[in-house]
Amino acid sequence: MKDCVRFAPMLEAREGELASEEAAALRAHLDGCARCRAAQADLEATDGLVAEALMARANARDFAPFVDQVMARVGQGEPGRTGLLAWFTLHRRAALAWAVPFVAAAAVLMYVRRDGGPRQIAQLEVNAEGDATMVLETSDGPVVLLDEHS
Amino acid sequence: MTRTFLAALLAVSLGSAPTVARAEVPVMIRIIKGSRQGPPSVDPRLEDLRRQLSPLAYQRWEQVTDEQRDLSRGKTEFVKIPDGEQIGVTLVERRGDTVTIEVAITSRNTQTRLTVEKGQRIVHQVTGEKAGAAYFLTVRALP
Repeated sequence: MKDCVRFAPMLEAREGELASEEAAALRAHLDGCARCRAAQADLEATDGLVAEALMARANARDFAPFVDQVMARVGQGEPGRTGLLAWFTLHRRAALAWAVPFVAAAAVLMYVRRDGGPRQIAQLEVNAEGDATMVLETSDGPVVLLDEHS
Repeated sequence: MTRTFLAALLAVSLGSAPTVARAEVPVMIRIIKGSRQGPPSVDPRLEDLRRQLSPLAYQRWEQVTDEQRDLSRGKTEFVKIPDGEQIGVTLVERRGDTVTIEVAITSRNTQTRLTVEKGQRIVHQVTGEKAGAAYFLTVRALP
């Protein structure tokens, strides 16, 4: 009886969990103790039932899309990307709404600068028979001089 | 939707009507005299021309005449200069903010055609130098 108390916790041990001496001592006790052999048999039966139930529940669950779902989450975004670029990537519409007025202002500025800058002659055509002329181009307009030798 | 479109069309038509209807270009024409002799001076009325005249060799500038004319396309306006000659000024083309003007000096058989933006000034020598002085014609299309 005293040995039964000692070996009772070992009855639930799985393969490899007991040291070799303990396993040998347990085998020797079970050979001589019908009561502990019956208890071990009950425990093994229970284990089997639980294992079967768990296996049945695991089999009932469809793990087929598991890998695809994990890979999809992995490809959704690069972890660690932070900052303004990440914000613009995720909020494209908001970014576009912010960019439009800046682009429009830049376009207006370019137009004004183009119109307000130094003006050049668009086209110059000189037709003088027998006379040669010289033209000075200035930002205020052209200055046409007659050839003094003609 | 239809009303909005028609209203926009009407607004565009009214906005462009004055531009299409006006065929004349108002210009300021001046006759000025440049001299090598005498103390250097620039007529105060020619202050806006100072920068354009500065590269020239004449050191004394006087305004002789100043008048506004309305140039019609293809029609020549004649401007008389002190030595009796008449200079022809013709609006050749007007396109947006640019105008093409031809200055013709009959005695020299010279026609000069220039395209400038409105507000720019054409300065054109119209006589040869005599006694160290020469006459110039300036044309500026009013914006």
